[in-house]
Amino acid sequence: MKHIFFFSILLTGLALVGCNKKLDTRPTQSIDVDDALLTSNDVKVALVGAYRNFGDNNFYGGQLAVASELLANSNELGWSGTFQGLTQIYNKAIPVDNGFITDIWIWGYRTINDVNNVLQALDVVDEDSKDRVEGEAKFIRGSALFDLVRMYGKAWNDGDPNTNLGVPVVVTPTAGITEASLVKRNKVAEVYTQVIADLTDASNKLPVSNGFFATKIAALAMLSRVYLQQGKYADARDKANEAIELAEENGYRLMSNYADAFPYTDPPSATGNTDEDIFAMQVTTSSGENDFQTYFSALGRGDIAIEDAHLNLYETGDERLNLFYSSGGTVYTGKFDNLYANVPVIRLAELYLTRAEANFRLGTSTGESPADDIKKIRDRVGLPEITAANLTLAAILKERKLELAFEGFNLHDIKRQGKSIGQLTFNSPKLVFPIPIRDIRVNPNLDQNEGY
Amino acid sequence: MRKALLWCWALLFSLAAYSQTKEITGTVTDSRTGNPLENVTVKTKGGKATALTRIDGTFSITVDQKIKELVFSYVGFEDMEVPVTASSFNIQLLPSDKSLSEVVVVGYGTKVKRDVTGSVAKISAKEITNTPATSFETAIQGRAAGVFVQQQNGKVGQGINIRIRGAASVTAGNEPLYVIDGIPVITANLSSNGAQTNPLADINMNDIESIEILKDASAAAIYGSRGSNGVVLISTKKGKSGTSKVDVSYFTGFQKPTRKMKFMDAQQYVDYFMKAAIGGGKQDYIYYPDDYANEQEAIDASIAFVESRLTRYSAGNEDWKTAKVNTNWQDLAFQDAPISQYDVNFSGGNDKTKFFASGQYLDQDGIMVRNNYKRYSGRLNVDHQMNNWLNIGMNMNLARSNNFRISNDNAFSTPLQIVALSPITPEIDPRTGLPSGQLDPNTGAPNTNYPVYYNPLLSVNNASYETRVNRTIGNFYGNVKLSKHLNFRSEFGADLLSQNEEAYYGTVTARNTGVPNGSGFFTSDEILNVTTNNFFNYSNTFKEIHALDVSGGMSYQKQTRTSSLAEGETFPSDAYKKLQSAASKTDATTESTEFTFLSYFLRANYKLNDRYIIAVSGRYDGSSRFGTNNRYGFFPAASAAWIMTEESFMQNIHWLNFLKVKASYGITGNAEIGNFDWRGLYAGDAAYGGQAGQRPIQIKNPDLKWETTAGMDFGLEGSIFNNRLGFEIAYYERRTRDLLLDVEIPSTSGFTTQLKNIGNLTNKGIEVTLNSTNVSNKSFRWTTSLNFAANRNKITNLGGQVLGADQNKAKEGEALGIFMAREFAGADPANGDALYYKNTLKTDGTRDRTTTNDYNEAQDVVIGNPNPDFIYGFTNTFVYKNFDLDVLLQGVQGNENYLGGGQYMSASGSNGFDNQTLDQLGAWEKPGDITMIPEARLFYGNGVNPSSRYIANGSYLRVKAVTLGFNLPAKIAKKMKLERLRLYARAQNLFTITNYVGWDPEVNSDYQVSNINQGVDFYSAPQIKSIVFGINIGL
Repeated sequence: MKHIFFFSILLTGLALVGCNKKLDTRPTQSIDVDDALLTSNDVKVALVGAYRNFGDNNFYGGQLAVASELLANSNELGWSGTFQGLTQIYNKAIPVDNGFITDIWIWGYRTINDVNNVLQALDVVDEDSKDRVEGEAKFIRGSALFDLVRMYGKAWNDGDPNTNLGVPVVVTPTAGITEASLVKRNKVAEVYTQVIADLTDASNKLPVSNGFFATKIAALAMLSRVYLQQGKYADARDKANEAIELAEENGYRLMSNYADAFPYTDPPSATGNTDEDIFAMQVTTSSGENDFQTYFSALGRGDIAIEDAHLNLYETGDERLNLFYSSGGTVYTGKFDNLYANVPVIRLAELYLTRAEANFRLGTSTGESPADDIKKIRDRVGLPEITAANLTLAAILKERKLELAFEGFNLHDIKRQGKSIGQLTFNSPKLVFPIPIRDIRVNPNLDQNEGY
Repeated sequence: MRKALLWCWALLFSLAAYSQTKEITGTVTDSRTGNPLENVTVKTKGGKATALTRIDGTFSITVDQKIKELVFSYVGFEDMEVPVTASSFNIQLLPSDKSLSEVVVVGYGTKVKRDVTGSVAKISAKEITNTPATSFETAIQGRAAGVFVQQQNGKVGQGINIRIRGAASVTAGNEPLYVIDGIPVITANLSSNGAQTNPLADINMNDIESIEILKDASAAAIYGSRGSNGVVLISTKKGKSGTSKVDVSYFTGFQKPTRKMKFMDAQQYVDYFMKAAIGGGKQDYIYYPDDYANEQEAIDASIAFVESRLTRYSAGNEDWKTAKVNTNWQDLAFQDAPISQYDVNFSGGNDKTKFFASGQYLDQDGIMVRNNYKRYSGRLNVDHQMNNWLNIGMNMNLARSNNFRISNDNAFSTPLQIVALSPITPEIDPRTGLPSGQLDPNTGAPNTNYPVYYNPLLSVNNASYETRVNRTIGNFYGNVKLSKHLNFRSEFGADLLSQNEEAYYGTVTARNTGVPNGSGFFTSDEILNVTTNNFFNYSNTFKEIHALDVSGGMSYQKQTRTSSLAEGETFPSDAYKKLQSAASKTDATTESTEFTFLSYFLRANYKLNDRYIIAVSGRYDGSSRFGTNNRYGFFPAASAAWIMTEESFMQNIHWLNFLKVKASYGITGNAEIGNFDWRGLYAGDAAYGGQAGQRPIQIKNPDLKWETTAGMDFGLEGSIFNNRLGFEIAYYERRTRDLLLDVEIPSTSGFTTQLKNIGNLTNKGIEVTLNSTNVSNKSFRWTTSLNFAANRNKITNLGGQVLGADQNKAKEGEALGIFMAREFAGADPANGDALYYKNTLKTDGTRDRTTTNDYNEAQDVVIGNPNPDFIYGFTNTFVYKNFDLDVLLQGVQGNENYLGGGQYMSASGSNGFDNQTLDQLGAWEKPGDITMIPEARLFYGNGVNPSSRYIANGSYLRVKAVTLGFNLPAKIAKKMKLERLRLYARAQNLFTITNYVGWDPEVNSDYQVSNINQGVDFYSAPQIKSIVFGINIGL
C-alpha cells in the first residue's frame, strides 16, 4: 500500500516535470530580428548602431585610414610593428588573405547592411525625423561605398571607370542567404553614381545642425571629396564652398592652434568634436575606438615612426612641426596621442584646401580666392602668406599634404594626381587592395583584382 | 592397505608429537580445465610455512600443529582458504579475472564488466590519487586507450583538452560530457583574459573512487544529444560498513619547466643584428635607389640605425659593444615553484549508515612568475538505509580556489614573451636603478620604447589577476525498493559555480595596457546547473537462464548563467586598486543566458545462459538550443556480446580463460553550441557617442539541430595463460553528419557566418589494451599495462569551405586542424631570399615544384597535421616486499606543431629586434650558402610569413609519472598505533624524449585554442615537471 502511494507520487512528479514549455528560453541581452525594428525609436537606435559599426576600429575608427597611409608611404613613415598584415601593406606585398584588408571589407559591408535595414524600415519612423534618418543612413552608405571603391577598385583616373571593376553596390538589407546574396562587383562608375546619389540625397535631407551625427554640411563636404577624386573640380569647388558657407554661419571655425584640432589630455579623456570637426567618429571611454592612436602614438603601440623625409617637407617655423615628438630616438606624430579623442573624418581645413585647389585649377575665386584660403591654413600655423602671384598648384597640394598628413588622404591624392609611390606608378595593381579571398571563396560571382 | 595407512598415521602422529608439526600433501588443479597448476603458493594462515606446487600440481608442506587453515593463492585465480581437516587435499582453484567481476558505472546504473557490451574504460582511484597536478584530467593522461588528453600549457588551473576517439565536431564542442555521481557538471570556460579556465579543477582528485569513460555510441547513447564526444562518469568515494578509517596525507615538492629553449647571448645578438643591418641596407638600396648615392651609403645608414637601436636597448649606453651585459631573460620568466597538498579523510559506517568525509588544501605555484593556484575543498558523502524499502543519501562538495593567473600567450605581459627582449638589455636599468622599462627619467613615466618590448617582469609586482571560484556540487537521492525486482531512483543535483575575476594593472604597466594611470576590472559570474533524474530499474532472472535488466526514466536539466563586468581606469596611485577609486569607470555590463534539456531514456539488457547478451537503449532529447522546427531528437543504440568461453566447445582450449566478442551501433548527438544560435538577433551593444544603439548580429536558422554521430564498435576482450594476460581490442567507426558549422557567407551581406547543419566527418580507429602479470610470487610482483590507440580523423564534407582563420584549417579530405601554408624551400643560394615551392596545380594535375621568392606566387598546401598517428601509455608496477615502484610512460606520435612565435624569434632577424633562437646563426651569408635560414635583413621579413619553415615534429615520449613507495610493515605500524604508514616520492613529467624544437611538444596555445586551432606554440609556457615527497598515514 505504502509502496503504491509513493509510486504514484513519483509518477505524478515525472509528468509535471515533463513539460514542453521548459524548452522555450529567450535571450536576455539580444532580441529577435522580428521584434527589432517595429517602432520609430527602434529604427533610430538601429541608426545609432550603424554609426557604431561605421566607427569600428576596422573601418572609420582608424584602420581604413592607417592602412591607406601605409600603402601610400614610400619613405616618410617607418613601420616597425609586429602585425604581419600591416607589414604586408607597408611593403606593398599583400596576400589575398590579409586580415586587415578582410576586416575593412567586412566592416564596410556590415555598416552598409545596418543602414539598409534602417532605410527599409523608414515607414515606421515618425514624420518629423524621417528625412533626418534617411539622410544620415544615406550619408553613411555613400561614404562607406566611396571608401570601399577607392581601396578595392582602380582609381577613377586609371583607365575607364565604366569598365573597371568597383565593388558590389548593396542597397537592400539581408534577411537570409539566397542566390541574390551572391553579388557581382559593379563598375567603378556605377559605384560612384550610387555614392553621389546617396550623398546628394543626404545633403538635401539632412539638417544643418545635428549634434555629432551627420549634417548637411558633412554630406556636402563628402560630396566635394568625391568630386575632387573624380577631377570634377567645379562640382568639388561648389560643394566645398556651400559646405564652408554653412559651416561658417553655424560656428565652425579653424582652431586657433593647429594642435588644438587634435586635443590631448592627460590622463586621456573624451574630448568631443572641436569647432573644426565637420564630421568625426565619436570616441568615449566606454564606446568607440581610435586606431590612429593605436599605431601612430608612442602611447599606443608606437608602430609608425615619422622619418626625416617627411619632417624635411615643412618650412622653418611651421607650427605643425611642434606636434612631432621624439621618444627614445624615434619621432612620432602627436596628432593622435589621446586614446579617447574622436577620429577625424572631415575637418574644415580640408574644405578650404579643396576649394582653393579647385578654384586654382579652374582660375576662379568662388567663395574666396585660392590665396586667401591657403592663407587661412598657413596663418594658423605661423607661416607667411603666399601671395596670389606666387601661389602654385604644387604649393596648394603640398599645403594639403602637410595639413592633412596621416589622416588618410595621401593615397587618394597621389592617385588622382597620377604620381608614383616609390617605384610604383599610381595605377600599379599593388596599390589596390585585393578582394578578400574569403569572399571570393563563397561568392563565385566576385572577380579578383588584377595582380592578385 | 588400511594397515599401511594406519602406520603412516602413527608415524605422522609420532613425528608431529615429536616436532609439534605435521606434513600435508595434495594436488592443485584448475577447476575449469582440470589441469594441474604449477607454482601455486601454499601458505599457512597465521604461520610462517610456505610451499609451491610442483609441475604435476602436487605439493607438500610441513605445518605447525596449531595451524587451522591453509591458503592457496595463484595468479589469475581466486585465493582459497581450506581448513586443515585432513593431511591430503585435492584443491580445485577457481579462475578469476578480477577485472571481469569488477563493477563499472554506466549511465544511470552499474554493470559487471563481464557483461558490458559497449566500450567503457575505467580508471581507479589508485591510479590518480595524489598526482601532483591541479586537475584530475592530468592524472588520467596515458591511462586509458583512445583518450587523448592535452594540457594547453604549463600555467596552473587552466585549459585541458580531451578528445575521446577523435574530434567529432568542427565548430560545436568537442569536449566530453562530465557527470559526477549522476549529475552533469559545469565545464564552461569563464575566463576574461583570453585563456581558458578549467572548472573541473575544482574537483579534489583524491575524492574520486573511479572514472569511467563511455567511449562508444552504445554506451553513450543514453546521454543522447550530448553523447557524441564521449561521457566521463566520475564516482566519488563512499564509506564502507564495518570500518572506521582516518587517512591523513601530505606531500610537498618542487616543480620545474619540462624544457627550455636556447636563445642568442649578448655577443651573438649584437653580431647577428649588425649582419641584419647590412642585409637590410642592401635591400633599402634595391627598393629605394633614389634615396642613396650608392649601396654602401644605404648600408651605412642601416648600420647607423641599428647601432642607435642597440644603444637604446643597452640602456642608452654602449655596453653592447663589449657585450658587457648578458641577460638571460628566459630564466627570469620562471620561478621556483613549490607544491604542497594536505589531505585528511574519514570514512566508515555500519549496516544502516555509511559516510565519507574529506578535506584538502592544495597550494601550487606555477613555474611562470606570479602564477599560483590554491584550492580548499571539503566533501561529505552520506548514505542511509531508512528501512527495508527506502535508501537515501547525499553527496556534497564545497570547493574554493584562488588562481593567480598570468596573461594569455598572446600578451606582451605573458612571462614567456620575455624571450623577445635583447640580451644586451640589463635587468635593472642603470639610469634609474629600477627594472628596465619601469621609468623613463625624461618623462617620469614608464619607458615607451625601451626595452624593445614591454618587460613582462614589470607585471610581476605591479599587476595582479586573480580568479576566485566558489563551487558547490551536491546531490540528494532516494532509492525506493518497490518490489524485489523493481527499484525507483530519484536524484536531484545542483552545481553552483560562482567566480570572480579581479585585475589591477599598475601605472608602470602603461606600455602594456595603453592606460597611463592604472586600470582594473572586476567580473562576476554565477552558473547554476540544476538536474533531476527519475528512473526505474527492473532486474530479474527467469528460469535461471534469462537475465533481464531494464532502466528507464526522465531527466531535466536547466542551466542559468549571469555575468557582470565593471572596468575602470585612472587611479589616484597604485596604492588604490579597487574600482571605487577609479576616476573613470570605462565599462560595465551584465548578461544572462540559460538553456534547458528535457529527456526520456530507456535501456534494456538481456542475457541468456550467462553468455549471450544484447542491450538496447534510447533517449528522446529536447533542447532549448535547437530551432523550433527541430526541438526533439531520438538517439537509439543496440549492442550485443557473446562470451565464447562459456560454450562447451571452448572448454578444451586450456590457455584461454575468457573470451568475449562484442559489437555495437548507436546514434549520439552533439548539442554544444551557443544557447540562442538558431535565432535571428539584434543586440543592444551598439552605443555610440553616449547614445544607445542596436545592431543585427545573427541570421536566423529555425532548422538548426544537433550534430548526429553514428558509431559502430567491434571489440574483443579476453584473458589467457591463467589470466596472466588480459587483452581488449576494439575497432570503431564514427560518422558524424549535419555538422553544426559556422558556414562562411558573403560578407557583403553584412554577416560573415551562419550556423547551419552542413557537413560530415569520420573518425576510425583501433584501440588495444594489454594487462599482464609478469611475475607474482611471495615477495615480488611485476605487472604491466599497455594501451595503444590510433585514430584517423577525416572531414568528408564541409560544403566546399575551408575554415580556419589561422594556419590550422578544416578542409574536405583532410583531418580537422591540418596546417596549411606555403611550403618553405630555404634560402636562395644566390642571394639569400626566402624561397617557397610554387605548388600551383599544373594542367596535368601535378604541382609545380619550382621555387619562387614571391610569397604570393606560391600556393598554400598541407604542411602538417596536429592530430597524432597514435597515442599510447605503458605502465609497469613493481612490488617488492614493502617497496613499490610504478612507472607510467606516455607518448604521442606522428603529430606536428606550428611554431607561431617563429615569425618573431626565428625570423632571420628580419622582423624587428626580437632576440633570436640559436639556430638563426646559420643564416645565409654569401652566394653559394646552402641553408634553410634566409639572409638576415632587418625589417624585410625575409621568410617570416606563415610557411612550413615553422612546422615542427610534435611527437614525444614522456616518463609521465613515477612513484616509488615504501609501506611500513604492518607489525611495526601497529606498534606505532597506526593502521598503516606509507612514504613515497612521486615525479610527474620527469623526463621527455622528443625532437621538438620549441619548449614542450604538448602545447595548444591558450589564446587561440579551438576545435580547428590545435598544436600551435606561441610563447606558451612549457609543461610542469614536478617531484614531490609524501606521506600517508592510516589511523
